Amino acid sequence: MNLQIGMSGAAAAGTGRFAGLGEHLFSMRGALDHPVTVLVVAIVAGALVLTPVSALVLRRMGRLPEHVGRDVRTRYLTWLVLAPAMLAPILLFPLAAMLAVCAASLVCYREYARATGLFRHRALSAIVVLGIVGVTVASVLHWYELFTAMTPLTVVALAASAIVSDAPKGYIQRVSLAVVGFLLFGAGLGHLAYMANDANYRPLLCMLLLCTQASDIAAYCFGKAFGRRRLFPNTSPNKTLAGHAGALAVVVPLCAGLAHLVMEGTAFDRPHRLLLLGLMVGVGAQMGDLMLGSIKRDIGIKDMGATLPGHGGFLDRFNSVLLVAPAAFHYIGLFTGFGLSRHGGGGVVP
Amino acid sequence: MTTSPGEPEWTYAPARDHGLGEGARLRSVMREPGLVSWCAQGCAGAALWAYLRAYHGLRVEGGERLPASPPFVIVANHASHLDALVIAAALPRRLRSRVYPLSAGDAFYESLAMSAVTSVFLNGLPLWRKRAAGRALEELRARLTAGECGLILFPEGARTRSGEMGAFKAGVGRLVAGTGVPVVPCWIRGAYRALPPGGRVPRPARVVLRVGGAMTFEGVRDDRAGWEEVARELRGSVEGLGGEGEGRA
Repeated sequence: MNLQIGMSGAAAAGTGRFAGLGEHLFSMRGALDHPVTVLVVAIVAGALVLTPVSALVLRRMGRLPEHVGRDVRTRYLTWLVLAPAMLAPILLFPLAAMLAVCAASLVCYREYARATGLFRHRALSAIVVLGIVGVTVASVLHWYELFTAMTPLTVVALAASAIVSDAPKGYIQRVSLAVVGFLLFGAGLGHLAYMANDANYRPLLCMLLLCTQASDIAAYCFGKAFGRRRLFPNTSPNKTLAGHAGALAVVVPLCAGLAHLVMEGTAFDRPHRLLLLGLMVGVGAQMGDLMLGSIKRDIGIKDMGATLPGHGGFLDRFNSVLLVAPAAFHYIGLFTGFGLSRHGGGGVVP
Repeated sequence: MTTSPGEPEWTYAPARDHGLGEGARLRSVMREPGLVSWCAQGCAGAALWAYLRAYHGLRVEGGERLPASPPFVIVANHASHLDALVIAAALPRRLRSRVYPLSAGDAFYESLAMSAVTSVFLNGLPLWRKRAAGRALEELRARLTAGECGLILFPEGARTRSGEMGAFKAGVGRLVAGTGVPVVPCWIRGAYRALPPGGRVPRPARVVLRVGGAMTFEGVRDDRAGWEEVARELRGSVEGLGGEGEGRA
């Protein structure tokens, strides 16, 4: 990975913190240069072409019941919009990817706030939204100090602003809900935006998105085919041991293999580190899914919203990336230095 | 599932429109505005107030009688599209996002764009005059009795074509009969001259909003006869506010 781009750009220009920033943010060069990016785009395009064909074949063979067919059609139509909407900003240029992550964070927070009732506390919601915008600004400016500062600053602002209404009843609940909302959807997802500062961000983001979505699909398929024993019956009664194990069996090698291609030539490109990343992504994706299951059952709702027909809310579809984004960012960052600001660089582990 | 001793038992109140798609949400009487609507209504409210004051010289008489907090229903005579804007603009700013003008579904909610403007900027809720109005009124009554909202309603059901106030429909009674929800009668004068039905560009006529004392209908039976009684009493109060010689809106 070319991890020195921000630093070298600034040094070359020699004109302070933000020199050379625009060139990187709007850089459309080499969108499809990396084999992993091409592979992921091909897999997504192939799936979008093959799904209706296979559904048609199965229907002709009489092996696709009508109600399942309707469900597949609704989900497919949603993916037909969603997949290009996810890939296009990544392929376009870094700023587009950062803004897309910001939009996703805001949509996720909106669903969460409306599901928990937090949206009625407008000052808290406004601070979370400002926090999300702040994280995006820090990513755009490639300013890691601000990126890390946004979390404590937002928490301080939330804790302080909740005092103003002079209504101590429910203080802990509403502040905690807001803090969790910001940490998960602002600070957590924001790591994806910060990754776009890396010259190699396209294959990296494509890899993470593909692996987390593959985890969901593999868990569903293995669970349907072999699922018997439920691991978390209170949290998610449809999840089975076979589903969890099957998802790991698919995601760990897939992620490790792709990461090898993405990280080639860096300190990260060692088998044990790649496998650990695969395990982290595999476990993190499933934990994200179960975490959202816990949230929904705690509130007593089935879906987080109805933004995506056939899927429920945006969060119901993207829960698996919530925990993976910060975990993968910092784990990779330990070795490659990615994520550090334009003034620093280099990993802390040789 | 049970909670262990010492574990906090938090209660959550999801948005009443939770689970509805965006289009359905905009057209639902269960809609609750969020941060975007709140900002939009703040801007729209300030602009409306400035426009009504500057162009129509809006004067509010008895403004101190406007309710301080939900639940409540504000009813008035209906002669112009300006009516709902006049009442909404007269309300305290902190109340605006919790007060919903009921708007004719067939006029303001047929297209998605119009629904979005009416809901997001004016906080309107739809009431279809023919289909499913009964169920919508039941849902609105539940929201009122839960104490969470205020409604602005024109019980004539349509703008007067002559300038004379028409009969009040029983639907308003269905919202409040047998409840302690206060109903505030109002009289709007001048809106008919400023923008009558069929008018496209408002004329600079002076508009006055006269606010009456709140009434409750706790002792009225929640049936057809009770609803009609509520409608009659409210019409009388609104008409009384108009005063002698001011029978035209």
